[in-house]
Amino acid sequence: MILKVENIGKSFGKNKVLKNVSFEMDPSLLYGIVGENGSGKSTLLKIIVGEWKPDKGNISVAGRIGYCPQNVLLFSHLTVDENMRYFAAAYNIEKLEFISRSESLMDYFNFKKFRKERVVNLSGGTQQKINLAIALLHRPQLLILDEPYNGFDWDTYQRFWIYANQLREEGCAILVVAHLITEKERFDRVFNLTEGELT
Amino acid sequence: MKAMRIITALSMILKMLLRRRIIIISLLVLPFVFLTIVELTAPTRFIPFRLASLDVRVFIRESLKEIALVFFSVTSSGFLVSLLALNLVQIENEVNRRLVICGYHPFDLLISNLLALLLVILTIAVYIGLLINEFVAVRHLPMFIFGLMLIGFVYGCYGLTIGSLIKGKLEGVFFIVLLANIDAGWLQNPMYYAEAHNNEIIRYLPAYFPSQSAIIAAFTDYSGANARFYSILYGTGFLILALLIFYNKMRIKK
Repeated sequence: MILKVENIGKSFGKNKVLKNVSFEMDPSLLYGIVGENGSGKSTLLKIIVGEWKPDKGNISVAGRIGYCPQNVLLFSHLTVDENMRYFAAAYNIEKLEFISRSESLMDYFNFKKFRKERVVNLSGGTQQKINLAIALLHRPQLLILDEPYNGFDWDTYQRFWIYANQLREEGCAILVVAHLITEKERFDRVFNLTEGELT
Repeated sequence: MKAMRIITALSMILKMLLRRRIIIISLLVLPFVFLTIVELTAPTRFIPFRLASLDVRVFIRESLKEIALVFFSVTSSGFLVSLLALNLVQIENEVNRRLVICGYHPFDLLISNLLALLLVILTIAVYIGLLINEFVAVRHLPMFIFGLMLIGFVYGCYGLTIGSLIKGKLEGVFFIVLLANIDAGWLQNPMYYAEAHNNEIIRYLPAYFPSQSAIIAAFTDYSGANARFYSILYGTGFLILALLIFYNKMRIKK
């Protein structure tokens, strides 16, 4: 088991967004979370990665987490290369290792040609590719993705799923917030978040 | 590795600062515009005035124009550094949070921001110090520049505190402008201070010690050591507050 979520509860004022949410994740499996807008999917992910504190419950993680937030969170006045280097420093990745990983991700998601461009000058789709690549930079063992393909063209969307399946085969556990019904069959297990509870 | 992280963060912060054109323009143009307006409008009449941190029997006699020029150079130094400090911690707050989630320690980020701020303080103080020297013959220029650095330090740390505390950009700017305007831009003016009631209140405001230090160096041969010491103490107080708020907001919450 790589992630254990136990009895998580979170309220915003009188609005109880999460009520006793519990689940576990094992390596080499692809999990999906579905639910209506405002059902608490992003809140749950933010609690798992430590951005927000739950009102109650426990989270245990046994491995490196990679997190791709729903909104693009990049330094807009830095170039693509500089953003990658800054986050590599956060992950403590050695220089040679960083060069090899970032080159490979830039090649795979096809944004190498923009490496010297400032993020502010790039399209939303390209920004989202970088947003995702940063979550993958340190070869995470647990990958938490909040609607990671927003703005992707069809080719990149397909490549994303191929990459996710490769990671799963290498032992990575992946949790994806998804909206499309057609995506449900891609997952090994799907959690439905309804009225703050997982079903 | 920790030092490497701080160096990386510092270089990225400086790149981001230098790439915002409005910041460079503000740094270069605003002090020059302020001082030119004062030069063109202030009267040249000589008046005697007393400095709060010197002995009550010490009177200084200078022209109103020179006093205004020195005073506005102190004000603009504090104001500019404060706004930049606010910008440093506030504008990329969410992305900094992601860096922390990815492994940066909040203190590493704050130390990098602080180092960037110190470079900004030094640059602004030297620039304004050299600029004012073209308008007024300042008596002890190095000490005067150090006084400008002190107002930068106190107001910069105030900016860091406000930036760590307040999420909204507009609200942050409002708090900076409010204090800088009332304190550094009005109450600490030696002309106003001399006639003020309850001037003990003014002594507790952040710009008091740094302005005293700069004005003493500009017009007298007296030592401003006390004012310099208390300025550092005041700025350190704001810095500790900023550190605590920033750490509490940025840390991983489990």
